[in-house]
Amino acid sequence: MMDEKFDCIIVGAGIAGLAAAMTLARNNMKFLLIEKGEFAGSKNVSGGVLWGHDLAKLVPEYWEEEDGGWERFINHRRLTFMDDQSTFSVDFKSSHFNEPPYSGVVVLRSKFDRWLAGKVQEEIDKSDYAMESFIATNIKVDEILMEDDKAVGIRTGEEEFHANSVIISEGVNNLLTRQVGLQDDYVPADHMLTGIKEVIRFDQKVLEDRFQLNGLSGMSNEFVGYATDGVEGGGFLYTNRDTISLGLVAGIKDMREKQKSPQDILNTFKSHPVIQDTIKGGEVVEYSAHVVSSGDKRVMPKELYKDGVLLCGEAANLLMNAGKAIQGMDYAMRSGILGAETIVKAKERDDYSSKTLKEYKQALAKSYVMKDINNFQDAVHMLHNPKMFKDVPNLICDFGRKFFTIDNEPTKKSRKMMAESIKEHSSYWDLIKIGLKGAKSL
Amino acid sequence: MKLLDLPKRLGLVSYRNQAKSEIKPHIEVDTDICNSTCPHKCTTYVCPANCYTMDDNGQVHFQVEDCIECGTCMYACDQGAVDWNYPDPEIGRGVTWNFG
Repeated sequence: MMDEKFDCIIVGAGIAGLAAAMTLARNNMKFLLIEKGEFAGSKNVSGGVLWGHDLAKLVPEYWEEEDGGWERFINHRRLTFMDDQSTFSVDFKSSHFNEPPYSGVVVLRSKFDRWLAGKVQEEIDKSDYAMESFIATNIKVDEILMEDDKAVGIRTGEEEFHANSVIISEGVNNLLTRQVGLQDDYVPADHMLTGIKEVIRFDQKVLEDRFQLNGLSGMSNEFVGYATDGVEGGGFLYTNRDTISLGLVAGIKDMREKQKSPQDILNTFKSHPVIQDTIKGGEVVEYSAHVVSSGDKRVMPKELYKDGVLLCGEAANLLMNAGKAIQGMDYAMRSGILGAETIVKAKERDDYSSKTLKEYKQALAKSYVMKDINNFQDAVHMLHNPKMFKDVPNLICDFGRKFFTIDNEPTKKSRKMMAESIKEHSSYWDLIKIGLKGAKSL
Repeated sequence: MKLLDLPKRLGLVSYRNQAKSEIKPHIEVDTDICNSTCPHKCTTYVCPANCYTMDDNGQVHFQVEDCIECGTCMYACDQGAVDWNYPDPEIGRGVTWNFG
């Protein structure tokens, strides 16, 4: 089977790799998708919500399946500011979000990626290369084979597989990306975070009652402030079918400097009185962790392509949290599709050099992925400012406590309460600076 | 809800090749660097699986068995002590997520 050359080898069956494979299969390309885990998704961790409509483009009417790969659709969004005792939330729920294609679905990657791989296999079976394109698991790629600085295949152990092109979709720990020289050998911790998560199981009825879920509706909740115990980052809670995903992301450099451990921060978060009430009666069924990039462009690879090779998904650090949502899986999906479409063009022209592959970068630049990453860099920087994950949540919660306290004494005007909270936790000058930055960045 | 300690949390993780005694470590750590020049020894607290520990004499030790392949140590170590890789499915102990 392996003497022949593939049109493309994709490294990594995460969302980017699977989206690329789906696109290649539909375009009658002969490819090999290699995954180091025992099945697609077995090594993958996310928060996580897959935002946007690209899933519906990839798997039309995915919502019709009784047991599709996804958990719940989001119709309820909540952003919570936290101090040590209180939470103050901005909460939005709307039946506007009840209709497919949903604007976001919660996924658990071990299930979702495996399901999506099944869909890719269906497309392979329908293609001209049903017997010559493969999803191969349990194989670790040791090296991208280069000839004259052009990618020509991969090596795993003693075996080599050859191809006209390689898509690297290996995820954020991008060793192969570094090996081909698209990123430095050592990437400093400055813009990297560790995500840490527990999956907590409930009786499904208890879960649905507690979070006011109806059918397959779901909630996403992000947390700023005490959730990360003074470390750069934030917390999250997403509802699955009969579990919740509860966790946080914490800046690696900041943890190093503040001598904090992610599992201790997670315990602090879980010990918060409001979170305690939220997770009461649940049983932890999995603990996981994974590095995630911050969405700061300064950590992106030097280039997204070179002769014979493209970078998709988090291998290229395509991820962003600008305050509205943590996006990454949608970027992975779109970049995988665009990368594969470029490979299809390369085959038509029989030119897999950077001359053709640079069109991937151009397509990505025109897409919402790079437009958002470029437009919201200021917001990314602002969110990683200590004022945003410490002073502001404290101030908001302090104001909330004053505002909602009724003690049968003459009540102060809320403007005065706000002035007191600001004085205690920040200053007008700081807030003006944040306000101006915020207005500009969003 | 009671908080779980780390051994209980790691007890919920599924590892492959769990019973194999001859496992080739996928991460190699030059603890001589940790124990001579490193000013912070941060891996002993930032690793979510506590693969890096510090003994009573302040010496760093590393064991790969609990590794959940998150990558934190690769970024956190700025001293060049961590040679990070993924486990080979055949010869390394590796994580398989049930939920992910």
